[in-house]
Amino acid sequence: MTKPWHRSDPAYFEKEKREVEREYPNLRFRLAGELVVLEGDFPLIAEGKVRDRYLVEITMARDHPKPLPVVREVAGRIPRKPERHMNGDGTACVVLPDERWKSWPVGAPLVDFLNGPLRSYFICQSVVESGHPWPMEELGHGAAGIRTSYAELLGTDDINVIRGYLVCLAAKQVKGHWSCPCSSGKRLRDCHLARVLDLRTRIAPADAAKSLRYLRG
Amino acid sequence: MTPNEYLAKVLSAQTLASNSPELKDLQERRTQVEEHLREHFDDSSPTIRYGGSKAKGTMIKESYDLDIVCYFDHDDTAAGETLEDIYNNVRKALEGKYLVEPKSSALRLKGASADTHGADFHIDVVPGRFTDEEEADAFLYISSGEKNRLKTNLDVHVAHVKESGVIDAIRLMKLWKVRNRLSVRNFILELAVIKLLSSKKSATLATQLEHVWTELRDNIDDLAVEDPANPTGNDLSDLLNAAKYELSTAAGSTLDLMASSGWEAVFGSVEQEDRKENIAALRRAAAVATPTRAWCRDA
Repeated sequence: MTKPWHRSDPAYFEKEKREVEREYPNLRFRLAGELVVLEGDFPLIAEGKVRDRYLVEITMARDHPKPLPVVREVAGRIPRKPERHMNGDGTACVVLPDERWKSWPVGAPLVDFLNGPLRSYFICQSVVESGHPWPMEELGHGAAGIRTSYAELLGTDDINVIRGYLVCLAAKQVKGHWSCPCSSGKRLRDCHLARVLDLRTRIAPADAAKSLRYLRG
Repeated sequence: MTPNEYLAKVLSAQTLASNSPELKDLQERRTQVEEHLREHFDDSSPTIRYGGSKAKGTMIKESYDLDIVCYFDHDDTAAGETLEDIYNNVRKALEGKYLVEPKSSALRLKGASADTHGADFHIDVVPGRFTDEEEADAFLYISSGEKNRLKTNLDVHVAHVKESGVIDAIRLMKLWKVRNRLSVRNFILELAVIKLLSSKKSATLATQLEHVWTELRDNIDDLAVEDPANPTGNDLSDLLNAAKYELSTAAGSTLDLMASSGWEAVFGSVEQEDRKENIAALRRAAAVATPTRAWCRDA
């Protein structure tokens, strides 16, 4: 088994740590076995002032940054309800993993996750808490949200086409002789191979595989 | 706005109204826990009461836990022969309905159903046994450390805090602890604040806090606290000593921050108008923030 990310590349870990601690002095890193946990006070700064703050616990998996960090709001302020984009186990659904490439692609620094998707998520929570609607576009829960996301990405709501693409994205390798997921009947190499390969640079096979399981019910 | 008016507003913003959804949710869960324990130990009729900050009046909205004590009669053995048996039997009873995380003398409850799996309910159940028929002092099982039992008295603890005359300062110091992610136990912090303010009860809240931080920064080595329910039998020095460095460092930073940037730098803005302005600013920020679409795994 390979070493966890912070031990296999200490320089990378130190760089991440330095950048985060410079911008977020109230967040502290803690090692929990093979995991790295970032915890503390997450401020929402807008127009030069701290407008709100959340107590958070952000766990990086041993193969960080491949999977999204797992975020928890630990003070119990946000109800654990799907409409608040919180799972029942207290983890936050900051972004659909399949869409992370839009805001925090693999390889981007951790501080960009904090400044980008996480900040947006908590801004939305504060706004909703004050009685306003969720101020950004949001996805439906579970399979519905996944279907919406891929329908927009692929330009079709055909569930069979979406599943076909997900099979290609979830596979370890794609083969040119496979049938194209667009259901044209052509071989992949003669049809949408370039598109599939492009999507594979953005969406991790593990995320596509999970989404495929959702859509298969 | 004077510092004291400001601190009063901070406290007001941290108060959980009796009809607040957070408190209703906690009370509902407390009822469920009590019903579950009574059903399980129907031969014993344990005493089940609020402990902790709910009983002491020191709850703060930003981070709150609910302590529920579950004490059995001194001569009751149906729930277990020994304190350890009682602790384990209460744990097993709760495990039928919750995920239970054992702590030193308490049992932390988390969700076990499909929709709440692993969610922290912010509830600690504290099993114990009264020492005699007076039903005042109680023994708790201690699963870590040298001793395996602790004599305590909930009423004495509650009274010690409630009658301290410095509840507001305690609540603000708890908020300061939360904001600074300090690991000191709330019980130790409460005792320290009460002790440090014993001669400052009539001072203003701002003066009290400045005094506590100054003492923590300059004289922490001289600070000692004792358990009012068991002054000689329950040595708290290890718990306090473990926290002294972080308390002193954080107190120094806070005093520096206050001197350079004022009280709002310590506890943030509180005015209702500020809150409205903050939300308005966040709504404007939402329009230009990184556009991400939140999802939810649970359908």
